[in-house]
Amino acid sequence: MTKWIRTLAVMVVLAMLAVACGDGTADTTEGGATDTTEAPGTDTTEAESPDTTMGEDDGGMYRIGYSNGGGVGNGFREEQVCTAKAEALASGEVSELVTIHRNTDAAGQLSDIRDLIAADVDAIVFNPNDPEALNPALEEANEAGIITVSVDAFVTNADSYNLYNNQVDYARLGAEWLFEQLGGEGTVYYMRGFAGHPADDDRHIGFQQALESYPDIEVVPSIDGVHTGWDPATTTQIMNDFVASGQYADIDGIWTSGMDSQVVDVIQQANLDYVPIVGADLGAFVAQLLDTDAYSGLEGAAVTNTAAVGGAGVNLALKLLKGEDVNTAEDAPQPNTVLLTPVLADNVTDDGNATLESWQVDGLDPLWPLGLQIEGFTTYTPEQAVACAGPGE
Amino acid sequence: MNAAVGAAVESRSSPLATLGRLVRRNVWTLGLLVILALLLVATKIIQPSYGPAGIQGLAISVLPLALAAAAQTSAVLARGIDLSIGSMMALTSVVSARLMDDQTEGFAILVVAGVLILGLVIGAVNGALVVFTRVPDIVVTLAMLFVWAGAALLVLNTPGGGSAKWLSDLTRGPLFTDWLPQAAVLLVAVVAVIWIPIRRSRLGLSIYAVGSDPLAAFRSGVSVTRTKIFSYMLAGLFSAIGGLALTATTGIGTPVPGPYTLMSVAAVVLGGVSLAGGRGGIFGPVIAVIILSLLRTDMTFLNVDTNLATVAQGLILVGVVMVGSLIQMRRER
Repeated sequence: MTKWIRTLAVMVVLAMLAVACGDGTADTTEGGATDTTEAPGTDTTEAESPDTTMGEDDGGMYRIGYSNGGGVGNGFREEQVCTAKAEALASGEVSELVTIHRNTDAAGQLSDIRDLIAADVDAIVFNPNDPEALNPALEEANEAGIITVSVDAFVTNADSYNLYNNQVDYARLGAEWLFEQLGGEGTVYYMRGFAGHPADDDRHIGFQQALESYPDIEVVPSIDGVHTGWDPATTTQIMNDFVASGQYADIDGIWTSGMDSQVVDVIQQANLDYVPIVGADLGAFVAQLLDTDAYSGLEGAAVTNTAAVGGAGVNLALKLLKGEDVNTAEDAPQPNTVLLTPVLADNVTDDGNATLESWQVDGLDPLWPLGLQIEGFTTYTPEQAVACAGPGE
Repeated sequence: MNAAVGAAVESRSSPLATLGRLVRRNVWTLGLLVILALLLVATKIIQPSYGPAGIQGLAISVLPLALAAAAQTSAVLARGIDLSIGSMMALTSVVSARLMDDQTEGFAILVVAGVLILGLVIGAVNGALVVFTRVPDIVVTLAMLFVWAGAALLVLNTPGGGSAKWLSDLTRGPLFTDWLPQAAVLLVAVVAVIWIPIRRSRLGLSIYAVGSDPLAAFRSGVSVTRTKIFSYMLAGLFSAIGGLALTATTGIGTPVPGPYTLMSVAAVVLGGVSLAGGRGGIFGPVIAVIILSLLRTDMTFLNVDTNLATVAQGLILVGVVMVGSLIQMRRER
């Protein structure tokens, strides 16, 4: 009998562990919010392009592998995978998108990429868990004649293409807007992302670049900022503590690394006046910026951090497979890099408001980034991205 | 593995009787081997191009998981359980990656030796806490999960470091023929070299005795304290080798623990080791890990939704264990 109780206890603890582990990994992603709801799309019309010829024959059709090694349930990562599926479908040139989308470590993603090589795909698009750790598998892929495209961050494998948002610019754009908004002087609360993540490091560089031109801006708690881990719950807690301790009264603006709507919510619930806030183009934050009734007095700006890198990666892989020319950035840390330029829109100018309005997508999950398309790199409709269906699905 | 020991011990009796006994003793492991063979055939049917490269990739990805399974088996056989295996692997991995970064190949030998000792030490800490505080194993190792994970972050707060080339080369490429991955040879060699002498010694017998019935073992003159601490040290040692395998295969150290603890328990259960202790061997869990990994690969070939694949993996696990328990119950009746 005691054996049974023992076994049961083990199972219960393991189940709890599994849940905890899942949460932990989901937090480690850029800009986007962690979201446990399912991808939306059942209620929107599926706009499948009629000219897709999948299922008939594979003549001229490519098979592409997609590996995402973390952040399952995170709005940014989910949207990234969905745009990849949408682009594969809309291109009409992909017979199958073999997708591995799970929370794992670098060793796990190594094995995922090797599985994709064994699955005999023509190209592999992946969001890397580490810039260097995947190189052995990527070299094996290149030897097998498979094109490899890293999205959302770069890898150091020289034959891989890299396509990601320019995170230095992302931070600089938002910071410059904020410092300008404050008239060049004041105290700014610096809320960063996930410690050690390449995107967080790059954003820190951009933030400091902006700061150099504004000597009268003071940064609290320090120039190293406070790390939210890109986790909504952590962000809410940090902000609550900040407000409760009275420190909020001493600041003039807030820079966030994409954990934005949570900050606004805390200020609203505390019934305090808003200071200018910079965030990302996440649905919930943009909705707050546009809702002048519920959030009167809220001034802010959203910087695009598009999750459509997934779809753009598939598009880039197709271009490379067809031997088309691709413009790469000269000043990027790696060769073969396509850098996407972020855009800023605020709610204090008419132009800004119009841009924010134009970003809205029906049926999009509020915790997904709004920038669903990238000019020159995506061909799907917003509906296709929301539907989240690849070829043959 | 039991097969090897059995064969050595009983080589003097009639060959046929020996074979019969071997089969009866290792029904579960043999069954797993049959499942693995069938799965390989199925894989070849699903993906006709599956060949040496696929087998190599499989061996490399199995390596850290199998070592985690071996570590868990060591703890579970002595009626313990170690939830800190993933954290111990992370800690030993970052320590080795940090120390080997930009160092000579020769220095790396010292690092490997040091990390193995570190594994024994942190395993001993786990074991000593379990034995001397009398707090249940599951609680102690759950707490130590956080301690070792935190320590790993103190050593290296972001993924980084490096690996010696010879260590990385050990896990890559084939040996003699394309069909024999070096990683697989390494795995079998390491597990056999550590486990076979222990299994055949008094200590090995003590582990099974304590696992079956600690009181009876105590009354027969077995030191339960020593045996349990030793089983946790063994778990620490296998975890350290697993951590080294992570560093070797990825070339870096990652401070955040991977999914190794959960996978190790799954492998132990599927591998025919009783969670109540004292029953099973080390090769069952290792084969179980290969099966679970190959299932994943097949799901990829079939392009099954990854979330569904995870559900399927769990269902297979429950199904196999239920069938196994049924067979066990019928036999005991």
